Amino acid sequence: MGLSYKMRLVAVVVVMGIAVAGGLFVKGLVKPASFGVYGHYRADAIEEETLIPIRHATNTSCYTCHPYEARIHKTGLHKTISCEFCHGPWADHVAGNKKIGTLPVKKNKEITTLCLRCHNTEIKARPHEVIKTVAMPEHLASQKVKLTHNCNQCHHVHAPLKYINRAKQITGLGEKKL
Amino acid sequence: MKTDQEKRDFLKKVLNGTIAGSLYLVMPMAALTMGTGDTPQDPKGPDISKLPEQVPGIRGKAYNILEQEFAFVVDITRCIGCGACCVADQQEYNVPEGNYRTWVERYVKGFSDQVYVDAPNGGLDGYQTPRSDIDEWIRDTFFVPKLCNMCKEAPCVQVCPVGATFTTPDGFVLVDHDRCVGCAYCIQACPYSVRYIHPETKTVDKCTWCYHRVRKGLLPACVEVCPTGARKFGSLKDKNSEVYKILKGPGVLTVLKPEMGTWPALYYKGARREVV
Amino acid sequence: MNTAMAAAATAGESIGSATMLVSNYVFPNDLHVHWSMMIVLYPYITGLVDGAFIIAALYYLFNVKSLEPVARFSLLFALAFLCCATLPLLLHLTRPERNLNMLLTPSPSSAMAGFGYIYAVSMGVLVFIVLFVYRPVLVALRSTSRGWLQMVYRIITFDSMDLSRKSLQLDAKIIRFLVGIGIPIAVVLHGYVGFIFGGVKANPTWSTPLMPVIFLFSACVSGIAAIILAYILVRKLRGRSINHSAITTMTRTLTLFFILAFCFEMLEVFSHTYLKSGYHHMVEGLLNGPLASSFWLWQVKICSVIPLILLGVMGLFRLRQGIYNLLAAVVSAILLLQVLIMRWNVVIGGQLMSKSARGYTEFHPQWWDKEGIVAVIVVMAIPFCILWGLGKIFPFWAGQGK
Repeated sequence: MGLSYKMRLVAVVVVMGIAVAGGLFVKGLVKPASFGVYGHYRADAIEEETLIPIRHATNTSCYTCHPYEARIHKTGLHKTISCEFCHGPWADHVAGNKKIGTLPVKKNKEITTLCLRCHNTEIKARPHEVIKTVAMPEHLASQKVKLTHNCNQCHHVHAPLKYINRAKQITGLGEKKL
Repeated sequence: MKTDQEKRDFLKKVLNGTIAGSLYLVMPMAALTMGTGDTPQDPKGPDISKLPEQVPGIRGKAYNILEQEFAFVVDITRCIGCGACCVADQQEYNVPEGNYRTWVERYVKGFSDQVYVDAPNGGLDGYQTPRSDIDEWIRDTFFVPKLCNMCKEAPCVQVCPVGATFTTPDGFVLVDHDRCVGCAYCIQACPYSVRYIHPETKTVDKCTWCYHRVRKGLLPACVEVCPTGARKFGSLKDKNSEVYKILKGPGVLTVLKPEMGTWPALYYKGARREVV
Repeated sequence: MNTAMAAAATAGESIGSATMLVSNYVFPNDLHVHWSMMIVLYPYITGLVDGAFIIAALYYLFNVKSLEPVARFSLLFALAFLCCATLPLLLHLTRPERNLNMLLTPSPSSAMAGFGYIYAVSMGVLVFIVLFVYRPVLVALRSTSRGWLQMVYRIITFDSMDLSRKSLQLDAKIIRFLVGIGIPIAVVLHGYVGFIFGGVKANPTWSTPLMPVIFLFSACVSGIAAIILAYILVRKLRGRSINHSAITTMTRTLTLFFILAFCFEMLEVFSHTYLKSGYHHMVEGLLNGPLASSFWLWQVKICSVIPLILLGVMGLFRLRQGIYNLLAAVVSAILLLQVLIMRWNVVIGGQLMSKSARGYTEFHPQWWDKEGIVAVIVVMAIPFCILWGLGKIFPFWAGQGK
């Protein structure tokens, strides 16, 4: 081509301008769907977040299949505790109305450890108007109970004062120091 | 979506696997579902109609995303440090070890005004033993749960270079796991350190106030399992909700690091000045 | 948590204002340092580009004739390093295959989103500057080559063999124009990195308006020092003479930029100490604790004060040429280290402070990580390989055929 040097440079600038415009056009094309609907993000991502499987199903769903425990749990002081905290989430137990796994049940010393997780008085940060705390093994000693006892040998885990109150009724003994 | 598939086919034909063909990597992919657990589970989850409506006003009608407002209140005077919230959160999302969407801190104040703070494993195992390394008389001690503050002017959203983290119109700050490139700028920008990089998806992750539960009228998992009512969640459009009454009531509420100008939607009741 | 607790004793004992830090507490998600050595390298590399570009700009735009021997070399040096600027970032991203998202959906509120376009523009400008500067050489090469190589030369000389006085004058004007717009582009290329840090209000060491300024001035220091050192080494290795007036001019420019950079760095630290606002106790604790050695001993005493003294001697006393050149090389080497340490202290040091305002975490560089020591060495070696390759096509020194 017989273009002068200057014209060639102009041609280069024009070609670059076209390339930049073309690039911006392609950029607009490949923008993801639903981008910019609510803001600088993919609005579909909001609905995608709602698709995450729900793994905890509240105590109500436990009660529907476990009415015996439900009756006791609902009337006790532990009614605010989630079944799923001590036993594991619903999703590890049930799928499509069928049992798919057995949730763990704590036994023996594990129960004591679990109880002390909330009721240990040595962790001073527990407001006393919110929760009663005890020191172990002093609590056992003060109740004149063998020091190898676990908590659930006197307290029903689902309703901790169930047996205690009944025992007090039967024996007629009054309030005892913890 | 049909148009996306058409775009994909067109690009594939034209670009024929050239480097530019990697553009179709940025098209919307199938949603990454997280929290699948070890056992095979029902992706549909529990039958919502059988569960209590814990956040009123959401079920039974089309969700108007533009007219919602939620708040989260943490009551320090009621937290006993049981760590049920941490366990529930870890179970709900299978949060990998060493990363924390929510955690509970223990503050111990001595008579010398020294403050000792710790969070062994983020409070996931609860607090089984008192601190053994404090050499003075203790004046006060309390637990502080922490989670995403859902800032109304979120610095993480501001700094994300690709629009992978965003504030939804209903006030939740979420992460788009299909767009995040893992630059970790949002992690640097968050004054509350609630974000981390998920080792499996290799994208950023954080507490979402259980958006997937709230959208079905359920409480976030941590609120659900809290035995003492230290964590409270509700809609500010519902005048009967506990959080509405607390927020519009006379008590003193604080937020974390107000000097950062983030305007959190997470409020603390009973937090002392030492809480950072 | 155990490593953080272990850091407690050491951190607690050497703190100035000790009231907050007797017990070390790091937020659970703060234990891990996310921006590692690759993010130290990225500003270092763009800084070298900027500094080298300053030398070229002083010659091509401001007509500082004494810099003629190094002007072309600086352009090629800048180009070689600019080619590698994306490498540390790609190694850092946990989803690098999505890196194009930065170009496709850059967020207007994010400083980091500017990277794709700023980088593309600065690369384009620098490539064109090199093509115009070397056009006579490339036209000659076109005549003597065949086949696809000749096609390459034809394209990059715009298919013109016109070397008349008029077209060369046009070239000179274009070069001046490109260098002229290249300066603000180079400032933005490195300045935005400084702003990425300066704009993070959550981190007390980073969030200061001085951050882009500090980064820019120390960038210029590193680039100029690199050119001085590279020039002396390459000429010595090829057994050629060193142009003393070029070294003198570069050293004087280096002195000016370094005094400014050092003053701003120290101003930042002393502002914190004087103002004692907000989280200053954390910054003080950081500089006097985990960073005591790398900041006060290495960055300030060894790598700043000693070069200041040497530069002072070189500026104030008349020295023999050989001694002057040797000192110039030594000072340049120390300053290259100073800038690297400064980047380390800002990037990694800044992340050692937990946002709990009550503790520090630790950073342990790995050897074989994708952001590890070996990766750093490889990434820093690649630009030199590119430079060597560029030297085969574009002669470093003016007035030489190849």
